[in-house]
Amino acid sequence: MKKHTLLTLLALFFATFLTAQSESDKLVGIWEPSNGKARVKIEKIADKYYGKIVWLREPIDPVTNVPKVDKNNPDESMRTVPLKGYRMLKDFVFKGSGEWADGTIYDPENGSTYSCVIKLKDDNTLDIRGYVGVKALGRTDVWKRLEAKK
Amino acid sequence: MKKIQHWLLLLCLLPLAAAAQQRDTLPPTPAEEDFSEYENLGFADEAAKRYCSPKILDLSPTRFVSLGWDWQQPYQAEFSPLGAFAGDDSPAPAETADFQATQGLRLSANIPVISRNSFVWQMGANFWNINYNGKIQTENQNAAGLTNRLFTRGLRTAGINTTIFKPLGEKQFLLLQGAADLSGDYTFSEFQSLRYLRYSGALIWGKRPHDRLQWGVGFARTYRVGELNYLPVVLYNWTAPNRKWGTEILFPARAHVRRTFNARSLLLAGYELEGQSYRISNLSDAEQSLEIRRGELRGRLEYQRQLGGFIWMALQVGYRYNYSFNADYLPNDGQEFFRGFFGDQRYAMLNTLTNGLYVNISVNLVSP
Repeated sequence: MKKHTLLTLLALFFATFLTAQSESDKLVGIWEPSNGKARVKIEKIADKYYGKIVWLREPIDPVTNVPKVDKNNPDESMRTVPLKGYRMLKDFVFKGSGEWADGTIYDPENGSTYSCVIKLKDDNTLDIRGYVGVKALGRTDVWKRLEAKK
Repeated sequence: MKKIQHWLLLLCLLPLAAAAQQRDTLPPTPAEEDFSEYENLGFADEAAKRYCSPKILDLSPTRFVSLGWDWQQPYQAEFSPLGAFAGDDSPAPAETADFQATQGLRLSANIPVISRNSFVWQMGANFWNINYNGKIQTENQNAAGLTNRLFTRGLRTAGINTTIFKPLGEKQFLLLQGAADLSGDYTFSEFQSLRYLRYSGALIWGKRPHDRLQWGVGFARTYRVGELNYLPVVLYNWTAPNRKWGTEILFPARAHVRRTFNARSLLLAGYELEGQSYRISNLSDAEQSLEIRRGELRGRLEYQRQLGGFIWMALQVGYRYNYSFNADYLPNDGQEFFRGFFGDQRYAMLNTLTNGLYVNISVNLVSP
């Protein structure tokens, strides 16, 4: 009887631990913003989630004819960093109930960084809301999960 | 004994298992990443769709909140007596004045209600105040006293507006705008009845072929020339491949050429039509309402610059051409009539203002 109780408790502990892990890791993957101009790989690094650009629809700058760089960054020292591989989502923490918060999103089009919250609408859809100060002053973009073409 | 050893082993393995998970999520030693694996991907959800964005590259920032001040150079005005005048009549002025100061506060706010890929809905409110100051030069027995009324009460507009952007797939969209404005010489202690609200709106169908071009055609009901009009509209927002030049056009309401210096400053050159129909309460009675049909064409240069974060400033310097300051009698139940460009309804007053320079400065909280 004691053995069975201990087994059950251990099984419950493992199940809860792994479920929490799998719930938070649903954010991990390759995602495409609504404009289709880029693909972002979201990965987990030490309990936080980060997203980097891994594909660009127009990877070459039509003005300079070289791979696009972060030319609009307010920090001049960052303006030669290639956009491919650029980490545009940073420091997201899983809050439960399909939400990741406390992070920021960077827009290389204008060099602005916004506060951001991410919600998992379903396994293949994210609501990414960038905002200015309060969430009401923001915009939601819907990102779709990508996978290898069948 | 063996069973106890089993459990002890299991307990020891638990933290190791957790640690193993954590080590697996740490990035490997940095190396040249192969991005080619991200080329041939498709939506995991086959029903997923793409939608066109309401913006194109390098458009001037959308303003959430704007706080501004508008000032006009001194000018002269001539106001006719009250009567019934054809548009090409030339009645002798009953009062003339020098307007030394025409200035006032301009506030607006636009807040997204719904902001998604497939639907954007925004609500806004605005308040514009115009204070007049100056000196009456001449006034005869037929004068309506409009100059004195403007000096003592000024004019103001308070309104609400809504904008809906509905993408029709990746390349096409519908844009719907609507507004209701209350304009007149009212004060907040002597407010104006809401039956004098004036309604305007526009519906545009458009296409967004790529990230640097957005165009559309549609129809508008507008007070931008001071009185009610129905006009076709053309939308043409474009950015050059070099990202330095562009246009922002919503014809005939406004049209600008844009020079983008960098992500934090730009210059617009063009014009905007402004107008409203202002009720003058002391020249109205139980039967009819007198409304000034104020319409202005403002040619200008506008410099916009980021001050810090999401705070931008805008400085306009331009020339104000007076399109109309005539007045109409309207039924006092708030009804409107349509004269357009070809109607022959009589004017209650025919008024002229000379033209001059203006300056407008604003501080704006802009949208992501």
